[in-house]
Amino acid sequence: MFRRVLTIARKELRQRARDRSAALLVVVAPLLIAGIMSGALSGTENFHYRLGVVNEDHGAAAAAMLRTLHQPALHGVIQLVELDDRTIAAHEVASGTLGAALVIPAGFTSSLRSAAPVRLEALTSVNDSLAASTTVAIARTFTAQLDADRLSVLAAVAAGAPRSQLAALEHRVVRWRLPLGVVRTPAGAHPLTAISYFAPAMAIFFLLFQVTFTARSFFVDLATGMVDRMLVAPVRPTELLAGKALAAFTFCLASLTIVAVTTSELFGASWGAPLPVALVAVGMSLVVACLAVLVIVTARSQRQAEGFGSLVAFTLALVGGNFVMVASAPPLLRHLALWTPNGWALRALTDLSTVGGGIGQVALPLLVLGGFALAIASVAALLAPRVVRR
Amino acid sequence: MRALAVTGVSLRRVLRDRRSLLITLVLPILLILVVGGSIGGTARFKVGLVDVGAGPLGARVAAAMSRASDITLTRYGSLGAARLGLSRSEVQAVVALPSGLSTRVAGGGRVLVDVLSEQSTSTQRAAAAAATSVLERVAVQLQAAQFAAAVQHAPYATALAIAGHLAATVKVVAVDTHVVQHVASSLPLGFGDSAPTMLVLFVFISAMSGGAMLIEVRSLGLYTRMLAAPIEARSVVAGEFLALLVVAVGQSALIVAVGSAAFGVSWGDPLAAIALIAVWAVVAAGAGMLGATLFATPEQATALGPTLGIVLGMLGGCMWPLSIVSAPFRMFGHLAPQAWAVDAWTGMLARHDSLVRIAPQLAVLAGVATVLLVVATRRLRHTIA
Repeated sequence: MFRRVLTIARKELRQRARDRSAALLVVVAPLLIAGIMSGALSGTENFHYRLGVVNEDHGAAAAAMLRTLHQPALHGVIQLVELDDRTIAAHEVASGTLGAALVIPAGFTSSLRSAAPVRLEALTSVNDSLAASTTVAIARTFTAQLDADRLSVLAAVAAGAPRSQLAALEHRVVRWRLPLGVVRTPAGAHPLTAISYFAPAMAIFFLLFQVTFTARSFFVDLATGMVDRMLVAPVRPTELLAGKALAAFTFCLASLTIVAVTTSELFGASWGAPLPVALVAVGMSLVVACLAVLVIVTARSQRQAEGFGSLVAFTLALVGGNFVMVASAPPLLRHLALWTPNGWALRALTDLSTVGGGIGQVALPLLVLGGFALAIASVAALLAPRVVRR
Repeated sequence: MRALAVTGVSLRRVLRDRRSLLITLVLPILLILVVGGSIGGTARFKVGLVDVGAGPLGARVAAAMSRASDITLTRYGSLGAARLGLSRSEVQAVVALPSGLSTRVAGGGRVLVDVLSEQSTSTQRAAAAAATSVLERVAVQLQAAQFAAAVQHAPYATALAIAGHLAATVKVVAVDTHVVQHVASSLPLGFGDSAPTMLVLFVFISAMSGGAMLIEVRSLGLYTRMLAAPIEARSVVAGEFLALLVVAVGQSALIVAVGSAAFGVSWGDPLAAIALIAVWAVVAAGAGMLGATLFATPEQATALGPTLGIVLGMLGGCMWPLSIVSAPFRMFGHLAPQAWAVDAWTGMLARHDSLVRIAPQLAVLAGVATVLLVVATRRLRHTIA
């Protein structure tokens, strides 16, 4: 039986290899798109902007504010540009030269002892909302300690400390620090780059077209009488379908391997350790092969098979996260992605790219992919006798 | 009249083809929904919070983070889950509140809170800065309570209540935001971005797929039989072009209607929108017709046509705004007609540009359409004849 399956698969692969459009679709197209993505999105993962600072105060508090802006944690996020005039700063923010600007108005330091301190001003643009919110966040981090000190003295007085000790309290509170400190801890994972996500996403998306290609090949064989001739050979319908599925599986696996190797070498995509990546590729290829057989046994004509194939490919790609980085999507879309095999394959490859790890890391996705393949294959096997009746 | 008869036959063929209806009508709407929903309505940092027994202070921090206008908060049940969320880019920073946080602060201690972010990624560092800012704002009242309790030997809970009461009345050192640039240079986030870009992308892709039908008709020998009847090749070509044009305009009208009704998209100046849709439909129909003369089989056209559409869509800013890519890539992207169409939509939706303001983009697209039509018509007439 296995020899007959192999023979059918070999014939199928020979035909597929001669079809240049199939090769273009599963190898060239994902590489081309991954290349464009790599070129277009490289560097966009990093958020960086030029922050203008206008110091109209020149007091001690303004100097402390500038020290805050120079802290190492902000290097790489902001590039500080000191300006003399708020009008120039506003003009540069409006023109996009600066992402945002911070103005420390005159009298800021001296006003801190009053009941109504002078307000800091952030000059922002609607075209850089992240720069705007980051500027405000940094300024508020600085003002938090000032506010805490002022509130501490007032709270002590409200709790019963004599007003005559105000100066002593102000002197004492300077040594206090906010009770919640922050320790910046490394995430312990490689950041997920656009190319490391979209290289497998595009490879899997174009893989899904194999469903249509395989189904179309079957109906062409049916139309030319090839299927009838094979069935009198005698070849059983399940062997015929298994041969088609094996060819689709081999083609998918080869395509994924070529795209993985090429995008790693040419575009610096990180796919993770080879063995678990290979297992995920096997799992996903198996699912695509089973889907192709399901479409063959469900459709009644080539046109219908092409319709089903397109529906399957585009629905899975849409829901599974092949077009958008699904982890960044709202929770509903993230949950929906886990109802698709490609969603699980992408999740496994994302984890391998960022967290790393071995087979254990992808054990659950592999089980789920196996489950998908088994379920689809079972339904297809039940419907397989329909092939004979055509 | 004869050309219109050809158009009628082609349109009936399109309506009977479920696959083409799927790509033409259903897919763009679904993608507008998915892409628009994913890119959200506002630019915010995504921050994760892990609270493993921090006490009442944990709830206070969570509430403050939820209220912060620059943060979208996701809560995780364990540090492991949060780390995984961070590695998957579900969040850009994680705040891990330690157990016993409330007790230690109430006892006058200073507690260090872990803020996880990847130091090599400045987006994550900026998200960590946003989260730190919220934590420190929460800590303002806590310091006041600790100080008052220490100075007056008062119970911490009493001092915290006093600090809370005072915080409502005492003026803080505020940070005022002045927006000095109100004119947007990119499409509004969410469906305002996904609807016009998917219109540009899919009208072109559908027309390229439509080219497959022309190849099928040609390979079945129908054109040869048509020419045996008293009909000229140019009428056949005109009829097929009109069919592609009607599909492109109809698809655009559907996307505009669904975009407005279901997703609340405002399409800008109606006159400019109609002109842009019309010119883009001609570009797409011309490209579809040209594709029909370049591809040998319907299979090639259905496989490679949409792929070409996706590639040009990426280059032209349908998948991401060209404002985020490097200047050379942006310039290269404008070799694709999609870039000019997206530029025009951006002007109309972001800056309320009128027909006159988008005239340069329309002129470029009209030029592209003319070239495509002339070349495609000549080649198709030659093929048919």
